[in-house]
Amino acid sequence: MAPGLKRFTDVAGDGTPRLDDAAGEELVCVERAASVALGSRAPEPPGTLFITTRRVIWLSEAEKGRGYAVGFLDITLHAVSRDPEAYPSPCLYTQIEAEADSDEEDGDLDSEADSDSQLPKISEMRIILADAAQLDSLFDAFCHCAELNPDPTAEENEDSDLFHGEGMTNGGWIHGDEDEHMVDGIDPEFFIPNPIGQNGGDDLSSSVLELQINDQRFEDAEEEEARENGH
Amino acid sequence: QLFFSYFKELVGKEVTVELKNDLAIRGTLHSVDQYLNIKLENTRVVDQDKYPHMLSVRNCFIRGSVVRYVLLPQDGVDIDILHDATRREARGG
Repeated sequence: MAPGLKRFTDVAGDGTPRLDDAAGEELVCVERAASVALGSRAPEPPGTLFITTRRVIWLSEAEKGRGYAVGFLDITLHAVSRDPEAYPSPCLYTQIEAEADSDEEDGDLDSEADSDSQLPKISEMRIILADAAQLDSLFDAFCHCAELNPDPTAEENEDSDLFHGEGMTNGGWIHGDEDEHMVDGIDPEFFIPNPIGQNGGDDLSSSVLELQINDQRFEDAEEEEARENGH
Repeated sequence: QLFFSYFKELVGKEVTVELKNDLAIRGTLHSVDQYLNIKLENTRVVDQDKYPHMLSVRNCFIRGSVVRYVLLPQDGVDIDILHDATRREARGG
């Protein structure tokens, strides 16, 4: 799924969104008479909000076939906003992980004729309910579903890497495993045993000579080997 | 598990969470889970000029993956314990 909020049009005959049953997506709750306000735009006319185990889907009541969806993986923050100075109506405020380098540029929404499934860089979405008292339970539903959707990379890493924050790569700053390997610099595989005096010399005299030479050679070789090993 | 355990100790303390989008949010740490998702109470935005929409929200849920830093209260941190714990964790202990 592409990151961020996008248009949603996959609606079944009964007006409900088609879910990804194969992926185990299930409906968690439904809020009728819910409106969404994208970015700094005015709220849309009321529609129905569907919270699933994977994403948030909103379908317009007035305009059939018009809807938006965003995955919980991309909802970076959510909060109940009741401060009238922040926003005239109580609402659930959410931030959406848009693509990198994006700010709140929702001016392009006017050109809806583009009909791209990907909306231009929506980074904030407010959900306004007809019954503001439901906002707290909606907040809880969002918390619950966010917990159902941990980052895929987070499951591979150790938990301690999560706090590093600089992308969910394996670059966590606690390198426990690597340090253990680096302690022992001498790998037994490098140590090549040198058979002493086994040049296969059959001649006794030459063997004696060779033995002497071998001794010296052996000493040199030992040093060379040590140099090779001890890097 | 180090930070999860550590953050559980910080519950109830005032922290500032800085997100990867540069937003900084201050609040009381309500809870944290194994993915380091953070719930704050009495949250307010640190830089209100930049983010006027979010003046104050009572409760806030922040996805762990979007957190860049958590700024800890100076008096809420036992440096020695944290130091020992991180060393132990680095050794894989």
